[in-house]
Amino acid sequence: MVGSASGMSTAQLRPGGAVELWAERHLRVLMLAPTVLILLGLTIFPSIYMFYAAVHKISPNPNVPWDFVGPGNFVRLLSDQQFHVALLNTTLFTVVAVTVEFLLGLGLALLLDKYLRRLTFLKTMLMIPMMLPPIAVAITWKLIYEPQFGVLNEIMYRLGLPLQAWAGDVDLAMVSIIVADVWQWTPFIFLLMLAGLASLPVEPYEAAALDGASSWRQFWDLTLPFLKPVIAIALLLRVMDALRLFDLVFILTGGGPADRTKVLSLYIYQVAYRFADPGYAAAISLFVLFATIILSTWFMKRMRLAD
Amino acid sequence: MGIVSKIHVRSRFREMLVRLSAYVTIVVALVATLFPIYWIAANSFKFDIDIFAVPPEWVPRNPTLKHYDEAFIQRPFLRYALNSFLVAVGTTIVSVCFGTMAGYALARFSYPWQWRRQISFWILSTRMMPPIVSIIPLYLFFNYFDMLNTKSALIIAYTAFNLPFATWMMKSYFQDLPVELEEAAMVDGDTRWGAFLHVALPLARPGLAATAIFCLIISWNEFLLSLIITLTEQSQTLPIGIAGRVTQYNTYWGEISAAGFMACVPIVVFAFIVQKHLVRGLSLGAVKG
Repeated sequence: MVGSASGMSTAQLRPGGAVELWAERHLRVLMLAPTVLILLGLTIFPSIYMFYAAVHKISPNPNVPWDFVGPGNFVRLLSDQQFHVALLNTTLFTVVAVTVEFLLGLGLALLLDKYLRRLTFLKTMLMIPMMLPPIAVAITWKLIYEPQFGVLNEIMYRLGLPLQAWAGDVDLAMVSIIVADVWQWTPFIFLLMLAGLASLPVEPYEAAALDGASSWRQFWDLTLPFLKPVIAIALLLRVMDALRLFDLVFILTGGGPADRTKVLSLYIYQVAYRFADPGYAAAISLFVLFATIILSTWFMKRMRLAD
Repeated sequence: MGIVSKIHVRSRFREMLVRLSAYVTIVVALVATLFPIYWIAANSFKFDIDIFAVPPEWVPRNPTLKHYDEAFIQRPFLRYALNSFLVAVGTTIVSVCFGTMAGYALARFSYPWQWRRQISFWILSTRMMPPIVSIIPLYLFFNYFDMLNTKSALIIAYTAFNLPFATWMMKSYFQDLPVELEEAAMVDGDTRWGAFLHVALPLARPGLAATAIFCLIISWNEFLLSLIITLTEQSQTLPIGIAGRVTQYNTYWGEISAAGFMACVPIVVFAFIVQKHLVRGLSLGAVKG
């Protein structure tokens, strides 16, 4: 159905100027061209330029010519401890945060689906966190984690538990980042799962109930397979977002303490600006770019998202 | 009591338990969701001494607008907000205009060699690109053209991830429209472009509005690219202004609470306007809620 419309493009034409006729005939190209050209300019060109930058030593002083170093920056990746730490932290954050968000979001959706169907207002209230500016979320949690007058330590005190430095603590910093991220993004999984549950067909469940299938079996054999496409999209988008984590870390910990929350985005930022080494930053960026392209392409191909 | 009614009573009891736990969960989830937002709002209305109070002051006892005055009158937060707004509007106009045309083309036209599928896929994959990887080339590029610290540079950079979003959103809305209406218009003598402009576009208006609002939100919230591109209050956006008041030596809690809360208010309003489109917007049109 989708493609069939193009055949009609020249079918019935009003008399018009030559330019209009030409435009009408090439409409399918003309309507798509601006977007394709803009995106080519904003993604492909920078990627090529970045490769060019990655094989140079670039001085922060624009008057100093770039110094060709060949694969030097890429070789550095192998022995750069900080890069390995950042890679590990990003992986850890992504796996833990997305897993927690997924289990929590799916669990809540399964439990509350029946009750929230008509409570649209309440549902939207629960969705607010994911729309908020990440910077506002970060300062909100900074306020909550504050060791001296923060709410969290007040709760710990009332419960008779030891007070913590939270985002400032070596062992708790990453947990603090993850909790803030879970607060902001669990609603996203929850929302998509609710949408998935709302579109489930009724008949298979009636049949299963007649056969006496337990609700546990119904979940595994019916709900989960039906939800699979929605779960795939939710996970893909969440993973891609988690890999680019920056704002929360920038405000809450600055990558510290002891590099425990230094993630790839933050490390690239530091290399480029604080250490003033854009060439090496470009090399790390290329690594991240290829990793995400491979990951997302594999995922999207597998899920046939482009259809 | 017969065995049947015993089972009946037990299942009624179980159902009540499930219902009760569902309501308790809703309340807990609501509190967990809304407390942080309430807390930043509450602190923005406190005097500094009350912000630092131990135990914390759950409700501001002496509410004050002092920090709003500090942030928006004495410091340039109004200017930051205006910059955020202008950049968001500029990005949205560019993205929605071109994205709508591209989305329509991908939803309706056929292309040789499976290009329709390939191009859709490629556009989606540009959305997956982490912004950090484009900051180096963008920075060097804007530096070369002397465009650092301008709002136009921000609009160009933000378009890179809003345009794929708008294209995919609009593609999904156009795919929902029956093609017959456009065919009928063309039988009546309208051109292909005319059918798009006079038939498809008006029908897709709710989708268009939702897409525009999402673009506004995405741009309003953006931080990293703005951090790289902007230097002074001439172009700095609201998130940059807020982050700038969290320094190594001091965090201006009252000011950033006031500015942070104000940054959230329009977003909450928007969230309620687009509540019907949330699912589609957040899944780039992949899931139709």
